[in-house]
Amino acid sequence: MSEHGPTHKSTRHDRWIRLIDHLRADWQIYLMLLPTIVWFLVFLYKPMYGLQIAFKDYSIFKGVANSPWVGLEHFHTLWDNDQFWRAVTNTIKISALNLLFGFPAPIILALMFNEVMNASYKRTAQTIVYLPHFISSVIIAGIVITAFSPTAGIINTLIGWFGLDPIYFLTQPEWFRPIFVGTGIWQEAGFGSIVFLAAIAGVNPSLYESAVVDGANRWQMMWKITIPSILPTILIMLIIRIGNVMEVSFELVILLYQPATYATSDVVNTWVYRQGLQSGQYDLAAAAGLFNAIVAFVLVMSANTLSRRFSRTSLW
Amino acid sequence: MAGVNLSSIVKSYGALQVVHGIDLEVAEKEFVVLVGPSGCGKSTTLRMIAGLEEITAGDLTIDDRRVNRVAPKDRDVAMVFQNYALYPHLNVAENMAFGLRIRKMPKEQIKTTIDDVAEVLGLTPYLQRRPADLSGGQRQRVAMGRAIVRHPKVFLFDEPLSNLDAKLRTQMRAEIKRLHNRLGVTSVYVTHDQVEAMTLADRIVVMNDGAIEQVGTPMELFNHPANTFVAGFLGSPPMNMVPGVLTQTGARLAGVEIGLGAQYHGQAGREVIVGIRPEHVTLTATQDSSPLPIALDLVEPLGSEALLHAHFGAAELVFKAETNGDIAHLSGVSEVHVPAGLVKVFDAATGRALEGQTKAAKEG
Repeated sequence: MSEHGPTHKSTRHDRWIRLIDHLRADWQIYLMLLPTIVWFLVFLYKPMYGLQIAFKDYSIFKGVANSPWVGLEHFHTLWDNDQFWRAVTNTIKISALNLLFGFPAPIILALMFNEVMNASYKRTAQTIVYLPHFISSVIIAGIVITAFSPTAGIINTLIGWFGLDPIYFLTQPEWFRPIFVGTGIWQEAGFGSIVFLAAIAGVNPSLYESAVVDGANRWQMMWKITIPSILPTILIMLIIRIGNVMEVSFELVILLYQPATYATSDVVNTWVYRQGLQSGQYDLAAAAGLFNAIVAFVLVMSANTLSRRFSRTSLW
Repeated sequence: MAGVNLSSIVKSYGALQVVHGIDLEVAEKEFVVLVGPSGCGKSTTLRMIAGLEEITAGDLTIDDRRVNRVAPKDRDVAMVFQNYALYPHLNVAENMAFGLRIRKMPKEQIKTTIDDVAEVLGLTPYLQRRPADLSGGQRQRVAMGRAIVRHPKVFLFDEPLSNLDAKLRTQMRAEIKRLHNRLGVTSVYVTHDQVEAMTLADRIVVMNDGAIEQVGTPMELFNHPANTFVAGFLGSPPMNMVPGVLTQTGARLAGVEIGLGAQYHGQAGREVIVGIRPEHVTLTATQDSSPLPIALDLVEPLGSEALLHAHFGAAELVFKAETNGDIAHLSGVSEVHVPAGLVKVFDAATGRALEGQTKAAKEG
């Protein structure tokens, strides 16, 4: 140990010197990085201090530091709470549907755009599908509520043309998930396709030319060149998506759900919101949030490891 | 096997014409190299033969069949690309099998074909590797293997060696030559490297600005360039060009008269450009040579020979000289001797060689 001690020290010392040299040489670049670091510290790291209330009997008057420790009591409460488990199940089911239908949608869209030869038609179509992304969730929810309205909504009007009774879509639990997932696809698939279009643009054009000379048609080129070439991007996006499995779009759920559909629509985030902010049980809500984060962390780590093992592609 | 015939081929992008009606006949089993500077239209011409670019006007026939409107896959050509165009997600065997699978060749036959070609190209140990795990030379061999397994009528090569380092390029050049001798497939090869063109070609097509400057065997082009462009393009270092005026038996260059071959005699007063190959001069006088005084700037030793960079009037010249193991004796060189029979003369106004014109005039 004594032999290695000085070497370790000098290596660490060298590393510091190198870092300071880098900072001096490229200070402009580090300066540009600073706002992002500050944002992370203020909004993502500092709040972690408050996570300890998940293990405390938190009181606003006593503050985070002075509230007494209660160990895992809140987690036991969560475990015994049927509504929490219903929210967890709903979150997983909605996320699974999102993954199944919402994840491939932008990929399919990008592949379709790539096949469009007419430039002006392509540009127009792209603009139309990108637009919903820039509309506030409140407006999106308003459009959905109007479209599915039993009295004047376009969907029920169409149903009426076939002589059928109107369906109360937004008050029936079985309709919440398809409407929610469909809305998400409508809102984000277009914008999400940009990443895949960029990946497609990066595919070496001579691969296609070589395939053309070899006799491949467009369908074969899509399956044998485009999709395998953008697979690393697809996997990276999938890992990110899996990391967000427990983060179902809170805004849209809260705007579209109502007590009548809680059976299928109440997700962990909305449950945390109701418990934490509306019922004042901040400690229990913090425990649920922490549970959420741990599940997401495990999922993203597993997805990353699997992807690295099987496809040599990983986030880190 | 098949010949390729280009007749008045034109390529335009909108109003911009980039290939101006070229005519070229590539005979069966011939290895023809299109060479020229960047932007001269050589790759566009090759891509038109492959079917990757539409032909604006003219006729293209392969094996006596007009193929202007025939899809690339039905032209029975195989192309080797500059950046190899290997599918990164497929291993070597799968890359080579790609075209055969598309054509629905039976699996057993694909395997046999790939094994045979891999053996020829020395790729057998690498069949299960992906392109990322191969060296540049190996990737290039895979790209060639992918073309060979198809047994096409015509091979098209688009600067296939330009991504390789100098040593590997020399090796691969020899391999391509050997392969062509063995397979005897009609080949059209595009390069901007005149050494590649000289070493590989049965015939060289020198292109410039969308037109063909000259077609001929490497030695024909080297010894009898049709114009100053061809003369300057082929040969390394390129031919030295010095402006001058013809006299009765020679040419006057900035006050110095040198002797010329008999074909140039009797045109006194004509303004010309005199071309002297760097390797044709000697440091001592020989029969029929004329001394040319030079101001030596630099001696670049290359081993057995050295490059002498010098000035003659306003012209910058480069000559080759034997070192005989030492360059000390070269630093004092103040004149070189130009052999009359090896000097080329071009018309100063048109840049065209006087040699052919004189011969034609005499024959006429």
